[in-house]
Amino acid sequence: MQNWLFTKARHVGQAVLGAIVAFMVLVPAGAQASTPVGCAALQAKYPDLKGKALVNAINPHTPGYEAIDPKDPSKYVGFDIDLGEAIGDCLGFTLTYKPVVFAALLTTLSSGQADIVISDIYATKERAKAADFITYSKVFDGVLVAKDNPKGIHGIDLSMCGAAAAENTGFVEVPLVQDLAPKCKEAGKPEPTLQLYDNNANCIQAILAGRADTYVNDVNTVDQAVKANPDKLEKAIAVTIPYSVGIAVPKNKPEFRDAVMAALIEVQKAGIHMELLKKWELDVNNFKEPDILTAD
Amino acid sequence: MSLFLQYLSLPYLLQGIELTLQVTALGLIGGLILGLILAWMQLSRFWLLSAFARGYTVIFRGTPLILQMVFAYDALPHIGIKLPAVMAAGLALACNEAPFIAEMLRAGVLGVDRGQISAGQALGMTPAVLMRRIIAPQAIRTMIPAFGNESVSALKNSSLASVIAVQELTLRSTQLASSTFDFFSIFFASGLLYLVLTGAVGAIQLGFEWLLDLDRTARRRRLTDYLPRYPPWRRIDCVTKRQLADKTAPALDLEPAAPAKLAEPPPLALTREGRAKRAATIARNNIAVEVKDLRKSYGAQSVLNGLDMTVRIGEVLALLGPSGSGKSTLLRCINHLEDWDSGTVRVGGRQLGFADDGKPLSPRAIANERASVGVGMVFQQFNLFSHLSAKENVAGPLRWVHGMMRVDADRRAHELLERVGLSHRADALPRHLSGGQQQRVAIARALAPNPSVLLLDEPTSALDPELVSEVLEVIRRLATDDGLTMIIATHQIRFADEVADRVAFLSGGTILEEGPAHEVLSNPRHPVTARFLSVMEPDKVPEAVR
Repeated sequence: MQNWLFTKARHVGQAVLGAIVAFMVLVPAGAQASTPVGCAALQAKYPDLKGKALVNAINPHTPGYEAIDPKDPSKYVGFDIDLGEAIGDCLGFTLTYKPVVFAALLTTLSSGQADIVISDIYATKERAKAADFITYSKVFDGVLVAKDNPKGIHGIDLSMCGAAAAENTGFVEVPLVQDLAPKCKEAGKPEPTLQLYDNNANCIQAILAGRADTYVNDVNTVDQAVKANPDKLEKAIAVTIPYSVGIAVPKNKPEFRDAVMAALIEVQKAGIHMELLKKWELDVNNFKEPDILTAD
Repeated sequence: MSLFLQYLSLPYLLQGIELTLQVTALGLIGGLILGLILAWMQLSRFWLLSAFARGYTVIFRGTPLILQMVFAYDALPHIGIKLPAVMAAGLALACNEAPFIAEMLRAGVLGVDRGQISAGQALGMTPAVLMRRIIAPQAIRTMIPAFGNESVSALKNSSLASVIAVQELTLRSTQLASSTFDFFSIFFASGLLYLVLTGAVGAIQLGFEWLLDLDRTARRRRLTDYLPRYPPWRRIDCVTKRQLADKTAPALDLEPAAPAKLAEPPPLALTREGRAKRAATIARNNIAVEVKDLRKSYGAQSVLNGLDMTVRIGEVLALLGPSGSGKSTLLRCINHLEDWDSGTVRVGGRQLGFADDGKPLSPRAIANERASVGVGMVFQQFNLFSHLSAKENVAGPLRWVHGMMRVDADRRAHELLERVGLSHRADALPRHLSGGQQQRVAIARALAPNPSVLLLDEPTSALDPELVSEVLEVIRRLATDDGLTMIIATHQIRFADEVADRVAFLSGGTILEEGPAHEVLSNPRHPVTARFLSVMEPDKVPEAVR
């Protein structure tokens, strides 16, 4: 009960703080909230997209990027949501959201049940077989461990040998942990074990319940988890992962891909991308100029 | 605790219930429709249909629902069927529920007593009428608990729709947990919401069971018949209790008055002259039933072995013979409840169950012919329709088969129940009647459509000895008062002697010996007949001719 009250008090505090930050960020943004200048030309170039309602498949378990709004659960909020809407605003389409498990993001896209995926998904060559990517953010991973890091884990390296790692099904970190097994063996250490869950919250719960020793994911997600459970969790270290975060679009729609890329450039030029990073308290070093990643 | 209560009443979660219910309803209704089709296919006479249904069952019962959901959602769009998420989830759930529901339906249908189905067929019910009036009402009653189970399981299974983006209760709970980190309060709240839903399903199931409880309606009828309209607290006073006991007691079992009503001994044609005169009259009558060279075997065992038999209008024939001699099979062939291998059976000159060119008719056409030719049948095990009152057992078939109006059918049922001494038990269910009473109702039911021939298959063999006489008395009256043509398979030698004009002794699927009842019984010529009669010791000596 006491715990609940504490959490609640903390929540109120966070909300107040969030409101102040949002206010400070939004007031200057208010002047620029209008559509970037270059967008009119893009709308003329891609008239088919104007007035459309497109479906954005998301895995809404990553507060800061995409999650439901705890104050109004009927809405999704986060950096990716805002960025997607800025792009939609530029090209003249609106977005509705389809929440799926992480592993189903790309299958939902390729079956035509969604038009676009903006959900903190890392663009890899492997994934590019299923969709084209427009990359927009660098990746920094954090290593989430129990308070005081009892196992002394410092990244996806030999310090993780013999540990139990929780991961989301389909995450790029999964093969990285798997690749560790032979290295551990070589070093004469036990192999790490992998526990696969279908969303962030379950991975975090696995550490809280003592089932897993570590969970490696986007550093912001890790920070959020530590913020929610400061007396039980901590971030061991941030590691760099050789990927970028990308917007996924269907492979058979190159024109749509180019339109999204062009719009993203306009959004970045207008400074909106950077503002959103600040609004959601993300590291501005994440900023990346867009590239296209395809299978070939 | 406050968080838990807050989530319990959070509109976001409550709206998730709506989608949960939508998916469940689609799954159950679709599953019921598909299940009905599947069950029908599996019970079909055509092997291709049942093989197809089997194949479907193997596939959809043998793969996980979660895969079926993903298939309906992500694979179907590739062949051009792009269903909204709720519909895709409903479709997958329906396809998954169908084989389970089909098996429930099949078990329910197969669980209905075969004897009642024979009785319905003998009354001329077409397969459709049988299904609707006899099989379905009983099957549905037995299936309610299983269906309640299936509904609860479908409700819980609907949570798997969360994998294909249906915003139902489970998906909403996990998303909320992800964004608030209040993992346990949220899942306790959603667990409780699921419990409320499944609890409601359980309550609905119990409600249906109560509603369709035959004993309840029977009991209520009896109570309203006998109870003065006292408020509940008055009912416990001793006087009322004793009055109630006095009044209900006679209704519980065989009423002493009834045998008295039946007991006036009718004039029997027991004198030699009487018998001769009756035999001469019958000999001039037309042929009612004619059996020629009838052969039937079950696998290697032959049951009927070239049997010939003729029964004239107004004649009473008693079939005697040891168990397994083919008496029952012969009777069942006469109204074509059984197929045979060769030979002909004619009732009233018509070949029942065959078209003019000799081709066999469909079950439906046979049923209609049975109804029009009019062959009544009384079974050893009574075979009353157990979900219907005594009156409805008699009146129902008149309405469903012969298209009689309800008032007329009811009047006829009352007449007949009165004739068999059971008018005061008209509203009782078969299971509240004694064996003898049940058989009397069965006789009334067989007589209701005025059959031209009545077949009785060991009508007293399943009765306790003290109940035999009330049934025999009813049959005796039919012979003497109505002059009804009857073929009776029986072990009651003395009764055969009193009532039958002729007896035929069956053994090994043929008639070993036949002739005027009294002659054959008191002076058998064939050694096997003689041995059989001597074994039936207590009943052996026929009454001397006066």
